[in-house]
Parts: sequence; structure tokens; C-alpha cells
Amino acid sequence: MTLGKVGVVATAQTELRPIWGNAQHIDLISSVVGAVFKGTGLTLDDVDFIIDSGSDVLDGRSISNCGFLGALGAHHKEEARVEEDGLWAALYGVNKIRSGASSIGLLVAYSKPSESQPDLFWNSQLEPFYQRPVGFGQRAANGMQAQRYLAANRLSGRDLAELVVQRWQAASDNDRVLVDHLPDVDEVMAAGEGAAPLTELMFSRPVDGAVAVLIAREDIAHRTSRNPVFITGMGAAMDTHSFAEREVGRLASAANAAAMAYRNAGWSGADADIAEISASSAVGELLAIEALGLADAGKGIATALGGKVTVNRSGGALPADPIMATGLVRLAEAVQQLGLPELHGGGNPSRAIVHGAGGVGMQNNCVFTLEV
Amino acid sequence: MYSAPDSHPVDLPSFHSEISMPYTLTPGRAAGTFLAEVKNRHIVGSRFPSGRVVAPAQDFSSVDGEELESFVEAPQTGTLTAFTRVQGDVIGLIRLDGCDNDFAHLILADIADLSVGMRVRAEWADGVTESILAIKGFVPAADAPIGEIGPLAETEEAIGVIPYSMTLPYEHAYGPYYGRMFDEIRDHGRVMGVRTSGGDDALLPPREIDDITHKRTGTWKACADTGTIRACSIINMAFLGQTREPPYVYAEIVLDGASTRLIHMIDIDDIESAKRQIKPGTRVRAVWTSGERKGSLADIERFEVIDA
Amino acid sequence: MGRHVGIVGVGQTHHSRRRTDVSQAGLVREAVNRALADAKLSMDDIDTVVVASGPVLFAAVNQPEKWVVDAIGAQGKSVVRLTSGGGAGFAGALAGYYQVAGGYSDRTLVVAYDKLSEGQLQYSISTLYDPFWGREFAVGIMGFSAAYWRARMDVLGHTEEAAAMVAVKNRRNAIANPYAHYKKEVTVEDVLNSKPLCWPIKMLDVPPISDGAAAIVLASEKVAHHSTGRPAWIQGIAYCCEADNAPERSLMLSEPLALASRQVYRAAGITNPRRQFDVVEVQEPYSCFELNYYESLGLCPPGQAADLVASGATQIDGDIPVNPSGGCMGANPIGAVGVIRLIEAATQVMGRNETHQIKDAKLALVQSGGGWANLRGCAVLSA
Repeated sequence: MTLGKVGVVATAQTELRPIWGNAQHIDLISSVVGAVFKGTGLTLDDVDFIIDSGSDVLDGRSISNCGFLGALGAHHKEEARVEEDGLWAALYGVNKIRSGASSIGLLVAYSKPSESQPDLFWNSQLEPFYQRPVGFGQRAANGMQAQRYLAANRLSGRDLAELVVQRWQAASDNDRVLVDHLPDVDEVMAAGEGAAPLTELMFSRPVDGAVAVLIAREDIAHRTSRNPVFITGMGAAMDTHSFAEREVGRLASAANAAAMAYRNAGWSGADADIAEISASSAVGELLAIEALGLADAGKGIATALGGKVTVNRSGGALPADPIMATGLVRLAEAVQQLGLPELHGGGNPSRAIVHGAGGVGMQNNCVFTLEV
Repeated sequence: MYSAPDSHPVDLPSFHSEISMPYTLTPGRAAGTFLAEVKNRHIVGSRFPSGRVVAPAQDFSSVDGEELESFVEAPQTGTLTAFTRVQGDVIGLIRLDGCDNDFAHLILADIADLSVGMRVRAEWADGVTESILAIKGFVPAADAPIGEIGPLAETEEAIGVIPYSMTLPYEHAYGPYYGRMFDEIRDHGRVMGVRTSGGDDALLPPREIDDITHKRTGTWKACADTGTIRACSIINMAFLGQTREPPYVYAEIVLDGASTRLIHMIDIDDIESAKRQIKPGTRVRAVWTSGERKGSLADIERFEVIDA
Repeated sequence: MGRHVGIVGVGQTHHSRRRTDVSQAGLVREAVNRALADAKLSMDDIDTVVVASGPVLFAAVNQPEKWVVDAIGAQGKSVVRLTSGGGAGFAGALAGYYQVAGGYSDRTLVVAYDKLSEGQLQYSISTLYDPFWGREFAVGIMGFSAAYWRARMDVLGHTEEAAAMVAVKNRRNAIANPYAHYKKEVTVEDVLNSKPLCWPIKMLDVPPISDGAAAIVLASEKVAHHSTGRPAWIQGIAYCCEADNAPERSLMLSEPLALASRQVYRAAGITNPRRQFDVVEVQEPYSCFELNYYESLGLCPPGQAADLVASGATQIDGDIPVNPSGGCMGANPIGAVGVIRLIEAATQVMGRNETHQIKDAKLALVQSGGGWANLRGCAVLSA
């Protein structure tokens, strides 16, 4: 039997800010849940299920979803908490609608890294016997990944800084990200050491925020959206736990995830018009670009800065990384670019790649293909 | 409201909270053996059926999950395959001679003196056992001869439990609703909630959007000091983090004027009289602290039963 | 509608109070090995993996699926973790179910675990409370569970005696369970005289704390026959919730469970749960909850749960045995329990339950849940 197509009907995001000092988690969540229905003709009553992504460790609460159910709009509905980046919540939601069990679903992802210490969030993901005690963690992983990448491909920190600047500029143009100050290349180079050779600004910047995405069965998507965006492929894959033992110079699990998604879609990286890609650092983004087939190994920088496929028109994760929500924000951004090009970047894009990641050194990866 | 930027004061107070607790973690056979052997200054590795050898020892291969077949002793020398510096500490990836994997550890050298591919050697810390930090770190060892994997006929018994602790600090934003509620508690000794969109009773704690209807809540309303117990239990056990000595009553109380409950405690003389006197429906009154109020629910010291 | 999904292989560890010979990863591996062997499959045959465990603060490793992936042998595969307090295992199974039903996978391995000996259960679970509002008074989930029971005592007659009968029944049933570790026959008097911890919850109303893992292989109709000629088909499965602090929140009935069961019964063609089910497996974090489930699942009207248990109908030799496995009283590795209940029910309808096979069991009901008693689900299995 054929399984139906799932469309994205609407999205809503709070502004992504380094610190939402006057809002709690429930405020960010309820604002996007309230806003996502505007203009669709649908309401919360039409929603069959809620899938949410959040982290107990970032939130400072065990089973944090159970305290946020009202804000999520989940009262008396089916709810599920995926404790991974929001793109995996989307994976679950799409499967639920394709199964025929439901016709309209709400995906929500959020975090407030400003309330905790992101380093503790990442480093607590490592097993506590060998890696955690020696101080290994997200920073060290990205630093060493960068050291290797720059040496292997004869790139310099300056090349990374140019990428960072371009991404921050794009985020600044995007009214959904708060950018108080635009760094230039020299400032990026001179920023404090993040993990040699990466400076602080070469890491993705944690921000507070929430995003909601409304998905629906194909026929409902057509009825409610002027230009629905359809999810035509999904794939996910996880690498081995120890960063030290992963393939050098390649995000193997991202490539696996992309292969799964492309197989479903019937097309691959080079056929996309736009790509929204997550990353924990500038080198992480380059590796992701390559793993998604948008550039050959070591050649990601040209594509990143301006190739055939437009990458991270939103700015991507480097200027704005709402940990746990980043991949779903990428999805929302790609949906806007495909569905409403006249308001979001222009042109006539018809195919997008969306990428989400989780774990130290991007251990876990998820890829979606979208089409209008 | 939150989709658009709005102005807000720069310096808002936040609520400090900390989650901190001790653990007893089990390393499992491989790590347990490695950790047991560091006191003998041995680096224990695993050999897998495929022939793959890794150090420090692992139960399951990172390649495909195959289970370890035997333990081996890895040499103390190897090659530095990558390095970085994080907050002053130099961390590198080392591949011990004869091993098929890299692993992370501290490098005891200036980052400027390091190069990928250089030889390194383990340096041990005196008096540290049952930890990977029994190896203080790795130091450059340019002339160190290539070591070999050796058999390990016997090993110390694997450590079964490693003590650990985790402390997670938080600075939670109050938001305007909790902000006002706690300001009222601190400044006026009263508990305020917001009316639901459809009624007069106050939601406690207050929030902008009603949990059930998902609609905007209404205006502020002060609740009384008195209320009714909706549910209660008698706490008679000790546990980490407890703030009162058992026995006492844990109660969910709906204050007069509120529609939702707050959680608090009631002092009791003994369990049997508490069973008789304190139950769902019992009327209670807040006993505020006689000291300075800080702006938290603990400014109400306890609740007490209102005699009929 | 989507594709049919069945449980085609099961495996669980011999749960214990404390395992010092295996890490969390090792525990997971044991259950995975058993489930794969039972399904006559290797990891190569598995398309995707779902990991479930309780709150990460239980055992100090955040997002532990990223660690245990190697123990599972799932490197390179789609792996995701679901969590939902005590309902984590069930939530994992539900996510796995939709991966198969939605066509993302033909075979999904769901492995759920908790190693409660590693941490401080009451303290870590107390952090479920709002840090601003009530956490300083939290007593794990025992405090509020006991309080809600107390409220049901007056209105619904869920007496201490009735809950004690549940405890007696489940503890006795657990004795024959090869995977349970807490095996002790008790009497109603023993339970009533046991030390009050959060009265009315007393020591013998409380399950043990356990280390354990459980895994199931879910397969589509197309490939199920490679593993077994008699899969346990999932005829309906749902998991609903309620906001924890609502004016009208019922402490009497579990509305999320009632909603989930309505959905599931409709999908599975159940009109008379009391008569149609041959066996029921529920997750009782305390004995009082089982009484609440009888009513919320429609096995009896509200107010008659005490009568139901007193009648003997839910005993192993009754007409609707509940927790013939012993439920949580025999083993309680919280995050795994939802999957353990599914395994016990699945093996009943597959005709190979290892604790006590209910004769001719064809239709089974499973319940699980967690959080503030506000996350609840159920499933119907048949072979």
C-alpha cells in the first residue's frame, strides 16, 4: 500500500536571542504554539498529536515535558518527548501521519541555554569513565576536527572567519535572529580561544528560542496552505560514541542519513536549490556540506560561501544555535524559502535539504528533503 | 507576544537553582578492569575477535559492537594524532603503539611545542587510582621506541562501582508572571494569581496562557491565606534534600480564590492524629515566616489546620 | 491505514537490585542480544533503533543513547531516544511502532533500560517539580502519588486493604517470574503493618529499585514471518497526557488513560474490556495505582476497583488476570518497565509466557505511564 505524503502547513518561531531574560520556557513555547495557526484556518483542536524536543539538562527539570504540557497545547492529546534535536521530532511526526493514524500534528522544539551551561550539557553526554574526566567535550572535539580539516585542505582560520561573518550577516538580515553586533573577519580571528584553532566566534552561538511546525496529511496541506511544502525524504544515522574513533575528515553518519533521504526523494544533494544545515562550529558546517553531497571532500568552503546550492540563507546555526531546536528551525527556514520565496530570499527554489545534528562532534545526524 | 521583539530591562534578576547529587556508577568489565589496573601502572586494552585492539579497554567495539575477547596490555607510548587547547588545558588524541584506535587525554606540554605525528609517552600521577587520571597526561617522547601490545594473563578484579557527582547550576528567568507573583509574596505577603479566561478564580502559579484552553489569562487576583486541602500524604521517610524532619504532611492546597493547587507542608504531632485530622477537604491557613521574606513559596513557613 | 506492526522478538535482562558487573551499556547489550536471538535476527537485519530510558539525571549520562549505540551495534543506523518518566519504555515502543507503520522501517529494535542503582532516585525525580514553585517540598513521585490515593480513598473506596490485595497478588505472581528479582510472599496484614513511607503508601506498597533492560523487535507484516509464525500484533496503541496543574484535573480517574484507552479500544474493536481481554499487564509504581487503572481502563466502573480486586477476578486464576508477571513488584527498572509489560503481554498471546501462561490468551491489554501521573498510555496485542 502506498503511504501518504506529508506537508508542512505552517511554522512559527520566537526571535532567537542570546538571552530571553523576561520569559520562561513555557512563555516561548506557548507563543509559538499560539502563533503557528494564524492564517491557516486550523486551531489547536484540529491537532491530533504533539511531538516535542527539549532537554532535561538544559531545562533544569526531570521529565521537563510533563511540566510544559499545557504550554505545548498537549492537554488531552497524544504527546511524545524526543530528547534529541527537533528534526527528530519531525521524523516521528511525519511517520505518524504517514501511518494513517493521524492527519494533523504539531512539532515543537525549544531551549534556553542562557539558563544553564551549554558546556555541561554537551560534556555530560560523554561516558564518564574515559572521556569526561580528562576534560574532553564538545569544544575539544570541534577544535581537533578543525585542526585536521584545516591541515588536510590547506585552509586557514581566516577562511573560517569569512564563513562566520557571512553567516552572521545573513542572520542579521533575518528578522528572526537577534544580532546586536556584526563581527568582521578580524574580530572573529581575535575573539577568545574557543578550542585551538577555533576562536569563540567560530563555534555556533547558543541562543534561547522556540519553534513550532504544523504538519498535515497531503490533502489537508493542500486545503490549508497556498503553497504547501512536502517532505519527500527522511534519513537519520548515528556514529560511534567516541569522537576519537570516528572517520577522520568526514561526517559519516551525516552521509548515511543523506543517502537514506535522497533514496526516498529520488534526487540527491546537487539537485537541491537550497540547503539549511546545522553545525556546532564552522568546520562542522563544512563537513556537513560535504557529507550532504553538496561539495567534494575538503571543498566545502566554496559551496558554503556561494555555490549552486544556496546554503544557510537564514544564517544557519553559527550565529544562532537554539540547542535542541536548531534542526527544526532549519526546517522552518527552508519551508519559508520554498513556500514564500517572495518574502524569504527570492528566486524560484523547488527543492531543499534540511539537516539537524546532535551529540558531541555531531555524532547524530538527520536529513530531510523538501519539495514544492 | 513573543514573536516580536519588545523592550525589556537589561538587568533582570534570575532565580538560582542547583541540581547536585552523588552517584555510584558501574564502569562495566572493560573500563572496570582498566581502572583497577592503573594502580599497577598498566594500560589495559581490549582485543576483539576480529583482531582489532583498542586501548583503553572497551566492552564493545566502536566499529560494529563486537564484544571483547581478551584483555591485553598496551604500551605506554604512542603517536599524537590531533590536539587542541580548551580553557588552558591541552587535550590531544593519542594512538598507542599497536592499537587500532585513538583516544583523548591531556597533553602535558605547551601547545606551541606539539605537532601531529609526534611520539608521546604516558606520565603517571602519584597516588591516583581507579581513574583515567592516574595517567596525569602524555608528554612528548621523541626518541621513545615503538612499544608492543602484550598479553595480560591476569588482571585485577574489575572495579564494580565508581563514586561520581554531578552539579548543574541554573539561572532561571522569572518572566513577568512569576516575577510579579514573587514580588507580591515578598513585598506584601500575599499570593496572587491570574484569572482564567472564563472565570473569576485565580490560576496559581500565574502564566500568560492557560494550560487547558491555551488562551490568554485574565487579570491579577489576590488569593486568601486560607484554603482547602485537595490531596495530602503523610511523609515518614528521610531522603536527600529534605527540608523538614519527618513525619509531616505534604499537601496540595487550593487557596480560597484560586482554582489550582499549590504544594506545601503541615507540621504534625504524630501519624495517627494526622490521619484523623488532616484529609482532603480539611481547611488550612498559611503561616507566614516571622523573618524577612525573600520572595519564594518558602516565605510561607507552613500551613496549619484551622480548627472547626 | 498504515501497515500492521507486530512484536516478533523479545528479550529482557534478569533484573536485579544492583548490577556491578555491567555498565548501562552492558545492560542494554544483554537485552538486545536476547531480543535479536529470539527474533532469529542479527543487527544487520534491523533497520532502525529506538532507545528509551528514564530521566537522564537518574544515571548521570545525558542523552545516553549516544553512548549505548556501540553496545547495541547500531553504528550507522537511525537511532533516537524517547523519554517520558516512567512511561519511557512505552513511549519508545510507540515511536518504534510508528517508524514501522509509517514505512520508515521494516524492522525496528526498541530497547529500554534504567540502572537505578547508579543514582539517587527520589532526589533526581523530585527535580520534576517546578524549581520556583514546589520543588522544595517535593518527595519524588511518592509524595503526590500518595496524596492522590488519599483523595481516592474517600470518594472511590480505594482502601489500604484493597491496595494491599494488589501488592499481595503481584508479589506472589512475581515469584514465578524468572526475570524478577524481588520475590517475597506477603499477606494483606504484612502490607498494612509495613512502615508508612508517604502514608497511605507503605513499604510493601512500593516496588523495588532495579537495574534492568528490555528489548523488543517490531516488524512489518511483510517480514514478520522470518522471525516467528505467531507475532503479537499491535491492534491499537496510544499515549495521552494532561496538564499537571489544572483546575478540573481529576484525581479520581486518569483522564489521559481513559482517552488513550478509548482510542485504542476503538482501533482494536474492544467494546467490553472486562470480558474481552484475556490478560492485562499494567505498570504500578505503587499498589494504589492498579486500582486506579482498573477504573480508568474501564475494567470496572469508578468506585468498584476495590470490589474487583477483592473478588479475585484479577488473580492469576481469575477471569481477567492483571499482572500475572508480578508487575513492578518483582522488578522495577523504571524506564524499561513499559517494554517489560509489552513483553509479558506479547508472550502471553504468543503462547510462550515464561512466568505464568494464561491458558488460551488471545487478547492482551498493556498500560504504562509516568511523569506527574499525567502521561499515560495503553496498547492492545493479539496473536
